[in-house]
Amino acid sequence: MTRRQRGLHLVALLALIGGLGLFYWQSTGARAVPALAEALNDEDAKVRIAAAQTLAEIGSGAGAAVPGLLNQALHDRVLYAGTSAARALRNIDLIAARQVMTAYLPALNAEDVQTRRSACAMLEGLGPVARPAVPALVRALDDPSETVRIHAVGALGEIGIPATLVIPALLKALHDPARAVRQRALSQFAFSIPATEAVVPHLKQLLEDEDRGIAALALSALSSRQRQAKDPTAVYVTLLQTGNASDYALRQLAQIGPEAADTLPVLIPVLQHQRSLYRYLAAEGLGAIGPGATDAVPALIATLQDADSVVRDSAADALDAIGTPEARQAAAAHRHSEGSR
Amino acid sequence: MTLLRDSRTLTWITVTLYWGCIVFGLTLPGVVTVTHGTYQRHGAFSEAWQEFRLDLFAPGYNLFLVGVLNAIPFIVLAVFILLHLGSAAKREPEIVSRRLIGVAGALVVAVGLSAWVHIGTTLYPDAQGALAYFFLPIYLLGLIPLGYACGRLIGKITLRAPRPRPRNSAEDGSGTESSSSRTAP
Repeated sequence: MTRRQRGLHLVALLALIGGLGLFYWQSTGARAVPALAEALNDEDAKVRIAAAQTLAEIGSGAGAAVPGLLNQALHDRVLYAGTSAARALRNIDLIAARQVMTAYLPALNAEDVQTRRSACAMLEGLGPVARPAVPALVRALDDPSETVRIHAVGALGEIGIPATLVIPALLKALHDPARAVRQRALSQFAFSIPATEAVVPHLKQLLEDEDRGIAALALSALSSRQRQAKDPTAVYVTLLQTGNASDYALRQLAQIGPEAADTLPVLIPVLQHQRSLYRYLAAEGLGAIGPGATDAVPALIATLQDADSVVRDSAADALDAIGTPEARQAAAAHRHSEGSR
Repeated sequence: MTLLRDSRTLTWITVTLYWGCIVFGLTLPGVVTVTHGTYQRHGAFSEAWQEFRLDLFAPGYNLFLVGVLNAIPFIVLAVFILLHLGSAAKREPEIVSRRLIGVAGALVVAVGLSAWVHIGTTLYPDAQGALAYFFLPIYLLGLIPLGYACGRLIGKITLRAPRPRPRNSAEDGSGTESSSSRTAP
């Protein structure tokens, strides 16, 4: 082989690498949104689900796909396709996610069991954005159908806030007559909801449960609490500082409430984050801290001008919860101006 | 051995190995995934292919990235093959053969380990399986030179240069054995 031939093959390899890079660049990020939005209309449910999941990863850059996702969340016949769209919407557009919540709330009172179950699953998909649905989901824990109660518990665990409503509801579900409901409630404390002091006696009681699965979950929940007893916020602060799993960490901090007051230096900057979900969760976290978050008042007042109305409302709620005269005045002025709009 | 004297044949072998290596590295994860998917679906190739296409950039799968990660050591090996065999035409056939056997050793290691890892993680998936995709290129980059060295060793043992024949004393009249013309590799 001549030197020229070898050089040509190396150049061809570089061209191939460049082509692959271009293909990756075009197929990912906001550039992939038009093709993914098109895929939401595919006949195959698997394609629609995969498209929604990829759009959820893209986040706020996928705004062009919101109409398609809204349509999928509200009308798709395949439940998982609908919940995937709901999950994507919570990452992309909070207002659209709230529209989905508003559409499914009446379905919690439908006569058909499957409709009520689907409504719970959709609200679960929306996660913390469906916070206004918590009272309705708490009522769904008295549903005569075990399936609906299981999904209501799942939705409450995924929404997670406000902890003052969610934790008592899950405690009630720990004593549900159906074993599957008890297990689902217990798994929330084991994996996603931090167990408070009030929960511990119930968990200890379940350690003696005849069902080994239930006892193991109770042990897991108690161990998780013991691990974080010294500094319950440390792991979430680290997650936020490293930029990993931010929505999970923010939601956990919002569930911890006043004990998370030492996380203000980490939470306040998140109010400026480009992702509306993060801004919303940061405002929820500050509201859950309450009067201990006085230092966040100026930042929250600035958030009342946020582009997203859901974030603005959450900031106003947080200001009310903090309760200083300045905060209350700003929240009242916001509500007045929103009302006049 | 006679074939290797022809530079066109050697060029053809080099180019085939070079591009074959690159294509194999890039496509192996996809081929394994689609083949496994087709088998699971009792021969429905189109469904398996569509699922592969969906998982190419899907969060949690990203088969494109898996293919690129797998291709890195193969691209390094391909460039080595191009430079190593591509410049061997002017050498002695024994040297070319030893280089070819060395390259074959490297290829056996690369293809064998890569195929074993991808087939294993596809047949027995678990939560930590993705770690294999990250560590595989590192292991391969370390083991490919080892495979080459083994190949060269085998080549050295099996392809010894022919010993010069002892000359008949009647032919040259000296009555002594010639000790010249032994080529060192």
